[in-house]
Amino acid sequence: MIETVGLTKIYNQGKKNQVEAITDANLTAESGEITVLVGPSGCGKTTLMSMIGQLLTPTKGKVIVDDENLTAYSDDWKAIFRRNNVGFVFQHINLLPNLNALDNVLVPLLCHDVDPPQYKQTALKLLEKLGLAERASFDVDQLSGGQQQRVAIARALITEPKIIVADEPLTFVDEASAKTITDFFERLKEESKTILISTHATNLAKLADKTYVINDGRLVSSY
Amino acid sequence: MNRFRNQVNYALSCIKRYKTRTLVILICLIVSASVFSSVAFVKDGLSAQGALSLKYSPDITVQGISAGRQAPLNTSYIGFIQAEAGVSAVVPRVWGYANIGNNLLVILGVDLQNSSFVSAYSHVNVSSIYQSIYPIESGSFLDAQSNNTVVIGKAVADLLGAKVGSILTIVSESNEPKQYTIAGIFNSESGIYNADMILMNINEARSFFKIPNDKVTDLMVYISNVDPANQKSLVNYVAREISDIPNSRVVTKDVLLQAQQTTYGDRAGFFSVVWYVILISVAIIAFNQTVAVGHESKFEVGLLKSLGFSTLDIIKVRLIESAILGTLAAAIGLTIGIIYDAFLGAPVIKDFMMGWATLYPSFSVPLLITPQTLLFVFAITIVPLLFATVIPSWHNATVDPDIAMRGARA
Repeated sequence: MIETVGLTKIYNQGKKNQVEAITDANLTAESGEITVLVGPSGCGKTTLMSMIGQLLTPTKGKVIVDDENLTAYSDDWKAIFRRNNVGFVFQHINLLPNLNALDNVLVPLLCHDVDPPQYKQTALKLLEKLGLAERASFDVDQLSGGQQQRVAIARALITEPKIIVADEPLTFVDEASAKTITDFFERLKEESKTILISTHATNLAKLADKTYVINDGRLVSSY
Repeated sequence: MNRFRNQVNYALSCIKRYKTRTLVILICLIVSASVFSSVAFVKDGLSAQGALSLKYSPDITVQGISAGRQAPLNTSYIGFIQAEAGVSAVVPRVWGYANIGNNLLVILGVDLQNSSFVSAYSHVNVSSIYQSIYPIESGSFLDAQSNNTVVIGKAVADLLGAKVGSILTIVSESNEPKQYTIAGIFNSESGIYNADMILMNINEARSFFKIPNDKVTDLMVYISNVDPANQKSLVNYVAREISDIPNSRVVTKDVLLQAQQTTYGDRAGFFSVVWYVILISVAIIAFNQTVAVGHESKFEVGLLKSLGFSTLDIIKVRLIESAILGTLAAAIGLTIGIIYDAFLGAPVIKDFMMGWATLYPSFSVPLLITPQTLLFVFAITIVPLLFATVIPSWHNATVDPDIAMRGARA
């Protein structure tokens, strides 16, 4: 379970261009459930998702995972936590250029004490589930936005993380890919993972067990 | 172990992915390493040759001076010098230059008949000393009794296509052609002090240069080394004592050695300045390349951190990447340096470093490849690259991954 307590992020604190992106956010996300964050563009969804995933240090507040306050730990400890527990799907996809789809999926394994070629079959199976079996050897630059996002989802899952953080995963995705991705997230729910998704997409939002509405950096309601 | 192998593989993939940066850095480092190594090999070779030659050279050389220029010296001083305490031998020499075709060669005449080294235990013939300095490749050394015979350097033999037994004709000081039978050829192709030498008996040289029988070009003074610890002070003492000889110049071996090291050191110093300029350029280019791909690199660092790489993992990847590039560049640069010096004869560098070598006919430049030079080349190609690439990566790795990736996109 993930819990945030009074999570606040202020960019450029103390400067003229100070921006309070998130103010006093309190939410919980249970394992085996999909928790969805909805809100207009620029309302702070990405900032909140980044803080929950330990990609961004909060100005105030806590992120508690399974009763452990992650914000109290060092930068390297957080890196190891992400390595072993978190899979990210970014709004901007963020694949490594000049690598093929399969190699991009295997990148997270490079910081583990494992032999990535042994995970080749696992990676290929993930790509197959996402409808990309025949594109595994394609350079990512040769793939469409939707295909790239599906590669990014496979990359997020290759280490079998217990937490999935997906920040607007359908933003740059075509309709067919959006359906594949939505179906895939629905199946993931059955694997008892804690899934956090921020989205504008109605289809994806429909999967939510719990939904938080965010506006102007504040969680205004939940249902 | 798997993790380290993964990091090496990832570093290799970075080298392949950032092709332009890799190529620019490699070219700059290779140029830098090859310039430095080719100069260092020649400089070390010349210094070693010089030191080797001086090892056997006289402790003191006495030359005549007239109007501030070198002039023949009277042989009557031999007895005066020989009488000094500690002097074991005074060997007269007559030498000068002569043209064969367009090449200026050194003609050296030594007194093999009357000179000997007196030590506490035995008399050592001058002939045997010369043979130890300049070993013979073919034929035999000069016979003190024989006339009109010479031993020639390897470069002279190559120039003339001469063999042992061939007749060598040289136009003398009195403009008469003189003929000599070649008795032997020195074996050291790279021996800078005998490559262009024609060695003969002193009386032959006197006749060739029209120098009177009571004159020599210089006197070689050897000091007995009964107590090696005091050798230097004994040499200086004798040098001071014989400096009273009028119109003479007394030069000790140490002064010659210093002059030689300074000459080669200064010439190599010029190239060192060029090399430093190249190296600084390399560091700047490497840094610029890092900055040029900075956004890409910053994004990559942020992404890797978000995928679970620690700061140390990222620094290790960049260290490995730089070490691979630096090692590859140093190895290629050293190979080019060796090929340039050993197989191409070090054009430009050879002429500059040796200066007077333009007098020589075909001549192999002496090379010395030391482990110190090799290690130094590896160090100076790898270390600047490490600084230029690892520091920006470390800087990017210490910020939050989200900030790094957003900054890269901005």
